[in-house]
This record gives sequence, structure tokens and C-alpha cells, in this order.
Amino acid sequence: MPDTHFYRYDDYDRALVRERVEQFRDQVRRRIAGELTEEQFKPLRLTNGLYLQLHAYMLRIAIPYGTLSSRQLRKLAEIARKYDRGYGHFTTRQNLQLNWIKLEDAPDALAMLAEVDMHAMQTSGNVIRNVTADHFAGAAVDEIEDPRIWCEIVRQWSTLHPEFSFLPRKFKIAITGSPNDRAAVRVHDIGLRLWRNEQGEVGFEVIVGGGLGRTPMIGKTLRAFLPKDELLAYLEATLRVYNRYGRRDNLYKARIKILVHEIGAEKMREEVEAEYAATRHSALKLAPEAIDAIARQFAPPPLRPKRTRVPEVEALKLENRAFALWLKSNVAPHRVVGHAIVTASLKPAGAPPGDASAVQMEGVADIAEAYSQGEVRVSHEQNLVFPHVAIEALPAVYRALERLGFAEANVGKITDIIACPGLDYCALANARSIPVAQSISTHFASLARQHDIGDLKIKISGCINACGHHHVGHIGILGVDKNGLELYQISLGGDVDFGNTALGAILGPAIEADKVVEAVDALVATYLDARAEGERFVDTYRRIGAQPFKERVYGNP
Amino acid sequence: MAKNLSGDLQVASANRLVDGLVVYLDDAGRWTPRLDRAALARDRSESAILLERARAEAFTVVDPFLVAVTESDDGTIEPLSLREKIRAAGLTFDAIASEAIRYA
Repeated sequence: MPDTHFYRYDDYDRALVRERVEQFRDQVRRRIAGELTEEQFKPLRLTNGLYLQLHAYMLRIAIPYGTLSSRQLRKLAEIARKYDRGYGHFTTRQNLQLNWIKLEDAPDALAMLAEVDMHAMQTSGNVIRNVTADHFAGAAVDEIEDPRIWCEIVRQWSTLHPEFSFLPRKFKIAITGSPNDRAAVRVHDIGLRLWRNEQGEVGFEVIVGGGLGRTPMIGKTLRAFLPKDELLAYLEATLRVYNRYGRRDNLYKARIKILVHEIGAEKMREEVEAEYAATRHSALKLAPEAIDAIARQFAPPPLRPKRTRVPEVEALKLENRAFALWLKSNVAPHRVVGHAIVTASLKPAGAPPGDASAVQMEGVADIAEAYSQGEVRVSHEQNLVFPHVAIEALPAVYRALERLGFAEANVGKITDIIACPGLDYCALANARSIPVAQSISTHFASLARQHDIGDLKIKISGCINACGHHHVGHIGILGVDKNGLELYQISLGGDVDFGNTALGAILGPAIEADKVVEAVDALVATYLDARAEGERFVDTYRRIGAQPFKERVYGNP
Repeated sequence: MAKNLSGDLQVASANRLVDGLVVYLDDAGRWTPRLDRAALARDRSESAILLERARAEAFTVVDPFLVAVTESDDGTIEPLSLREKIRAAGLTFDAIASEAIRYA
């Protein structure tokens, strides 16, 4: 299926990526031959997305704004099968990590990526990383504008940007085009939210200085409304201020959130606005034809309105309870009548969250081609999304997903857990994440029970770097190492919903791994006992506070 | 009970350059994936010498370092820290096998 509504590389993009592959091939050759030391080579491999983890090299592949064509997904499966162990891990930054890549094979894997307009550049290092977006972009009912157009503009501007290739620290940007934030924009270095003002103009709210990690912060709005064509000028101004004042002297204080916190949002705004005043009328101001040229590449697929009540769907709903639940949790409304957005859950009970085998990736590509305009999205919640499915095709999509093991009706539920790779893979981790997630999802496997519990987000990180977003989980679980023991610290009340963005508060002392499921069970029981009509777990927590949960988990002192 | 992770028994480990595989230095100065073949340093002075040897043999590996281990009565060596146990034994769960899941 041709990639008709995706950004396609032009000759410039293609030449740049291919040259980069050949440069890296030569660098790898020189490293293996002993002509480069590890100290010399490490920054070169990292800038191409190649990490050295506990057991092997890990290749982090950028999936720009989480959008994949079926052709690209097939290529990822092929690379996973040929150069890895036949599976990959979709991450909270909408990337794919292959955990067993050999250094000697990495250039060939990158060359295969280049064949489908993909690369792994800027997935590591102190640079602007892969720009993430709402995974329902271009399909959501509540969307004002497709954020991927702006993601692509930012991608082109930030790729190998000479001034921003050595930032004080890594830099993450997320963009949403909807009022319901599905991209967690308030916990990014820069979050951009498209909205329409009273004059009917669409522009960006620019949120700066959010982030998780060691020092979690919710971003501050530096600009309530920025004209769209001035986006790059404002971003350049912000990055320039950060580059100038960011704390290069201390790794733990080097992110922009610390700068904003230390000098204050007012001072930061003043500095950025001064810089912006000097650049806003420069070449960075986007010409309408330049924006249009990108926007045309994201033209919506030619969907025609279809019937919304389909007898086959209604019949299957009655005869198959799991399908009925799946419609509730995994299927979202689409902007075109008679269509839906389907989320394939990469969280079947007991499975490592976010992992997909090559066979499963190919199966997802098949479904995308047959039923979703050849398009797949990666969500920051580590699931895959079919953005354009006709309602009449839902039974077929469900059955195909069942065969892949991706039809679990649990999206947004207690087993739809975000988990980082943790100590099983990661060189930075202090504790395991995946086995904890597996225990919880096995314990709560009953779909009826999950749907009774309702929306509840558990997020697990294996260290303070918070790749599993534990700070913003309704229940956050952080693995810590205490004198060689794996312990888990539980926090409650985190949230990324726009308007309710909050960081979780630690519930009490960290507990041992084999007590985590019991503790989550106690938290859920407390909620079920106390919940009022229509309340989610996090709503009840906000109403009654931490004490009842604490007493249930730790007992009365 | 928390364990004392600063034991006297040490082996030298690294990741193999070409593929990242976990390897240990043996008595002959070769890098092996087998922990049971690792050269064992029994005190601080032997550990320092072992690390020097590992660094001298680092052409085909990345960043050698010492790993604290225990030795059981039958001579089995086991790392003390969970991290090193995982490096030695692999993942603590079953990864998705590429051919395990079929679809029609």
C-alpha cells in the first residue's frame, strides 16, 4: 500500500540519512579495528541511537510523532527478525527499542531503516529528541488541528541543528492539537497545545520547563497564545536562552525545568521574549506556502461517512462479552461518521508491556492495510493505534487482534500499565519493572473486574529517571535499590490530564517486590469501598485524601 | 536482610565489543561468556591485578570492571548484586518469542 498521507522524505532528507548511515558504518569499522577508543566512539554511537545496556547494544529507533505506515512497521519487524531476537519494545516516547542489536550489524539495520524514511538520529544525547504527539492526531473528534504538521516542521528544524547539537541536557517536545491532552504536554521540556482564541485564530500555548525524572516539574505557560507561523522563532528563542543559561556544571540540574524553577517563569519569559523579539521576523518566520507544503503531506485519508449502527457489530456485542468491553475501552470516536479509532493493547495479561514480536508487528501491519488506511500509531502509553477504522470492520479487526494477542479490552484500565524496561535490560535501572507489571496484570486479569474498577493508570519506573512516568500515574511505582534489595515506592494521585496535571505524592515507606500486588489490591479495595457514583480511582483519592489508602496498605500504626 | 555487596571475591567482567554480550576474563586472559570459567580474585591485591589484566586485554571488550561474587562449597560462583545476577543469567522473565505467536 503506498504511503499516501504520510510525510515522505525529499531528496535532501534521503541524502542526509543515507550519508549518516555510511558515516556510522565507517565509525563502527574503525572502532572494531581499534582505530577509535570507546571514549571516542561512544558519543558517535549514541548520536545514532545505539546504547550499550546490560546484556547487549540497544538501538532506539525514532518513530516521528508516533506515526508509522504499514510498510515502515513491516520493515521494523524485518529488522527485529534479522538483527535482533525477533521482538521490540515500544516506549513512552513513541520510539521502538531493539534490545539485542550487534554493533557489527547496526549500520546494516540503519540502512534498512533508511529504505523506509526512518532513522535513529537524536534518540540519544543532549539534543532535541523525537517530537511526540497525540496518537489520535488527524482522527480525533476533539482535535482543532493535526499536530503532526507542526511536529514535522519542528523535526526538520531540529534535525542536526548546529546551535542545538550540544545542549546542556536532552530536550523533549510534545505537541497536541486537542483540548483533551493525550500527549502529556505539561511534563515535557516544551509542551505545545494548539487552541482557538476568541478571535477564532488557532495558535499555540507554549508550556516550558515540565519534566519527570529526578526532579519532576509541571511546565509553566510562557506564552498563552503564539501565532503558528512564529513557532520556530519562539522555539529557537527558548532553546537559545536554555543553551546560554542551562546548568552545564551539574548533570542533575541541567534540564530546562531546573532553569525555569531557579530563575522563575517571569524571568524566563522576559529572556525568551527578548530573544524572540530579535528573531521573530527573521527567516524563521514560516511562510504560508512552506506550512501548506507540509500540511498537504498529512492530508486526511479519503474517508466517506458510513453507517454507525451495524447489525454485525450489535450482534457480536450481545454474544461476546469481551468484544462488548473492548468496544467500550479500546474504541474511540472518529471525526468521520461511521468510523472509529481502535487501540490494540500491547498489555495482554502477564506480558511485558509495550513488547511486540516481529510476527505481531506484521500482523498489525496487515490489519492496518486491510482496515486503517495503512496507518498505525504508537501511543506514549505503549500501545498501537489504528486511527481510521470503519465501524463495520470492527468485528474483523477485533478477531484479527485476538489472533495476535492484542485484543485485551483493557485500555485505560488497571492492567494497561506503562513500564520502562527496568533492571532486566537497562544499565541505569535500580530495580526491575517488567516482572512487577506482569504480576499486577496477571492478578487483575479478569476483564469484568477491570471494567468494574474503571479507569486507573499504573505507571512503573525502575529508577528515578522515570522513563515509566511513575510521577504521573494514578498509582505510581518506583523501583529503588536499598543495600542490594529491590524495593518499590508507591505514589498516588499523579495525572497528565490537561487541567488536572499533577505529580503523585509518596504514600509511605517502600515495600518489597512480593508485596506490590498486595498493596495495589489494598489501594483498589479502598477505592471501591469509598467511591462515589462516577468517580475514577484518582477522583476518589482527591476527595478522600491519602490516609485511608495508607491505612489499608500499611495498617494502623 | 540486606546483603553486603562489597565482598572480597571478585571477577572481571565487560561487554564484548562486537555484540555487547556479557563476558568474563578467564585465567588464560581470554574473555568468555561463562561465569564458571572466570578468573577469581580472592583479596584486594589480587583484585587490583585482575582489573589491570582485564584492562590490558580490553581490545575486544568495552569498559572492564570488577564484579563482587560469592563462591559456594562446590565452587559455584554467583554475583552478589541483582544487577550482576541478571547480567550473568539473563532476563528474569520470558521475552516474547518471535515464533511463539501465530495468527491466521
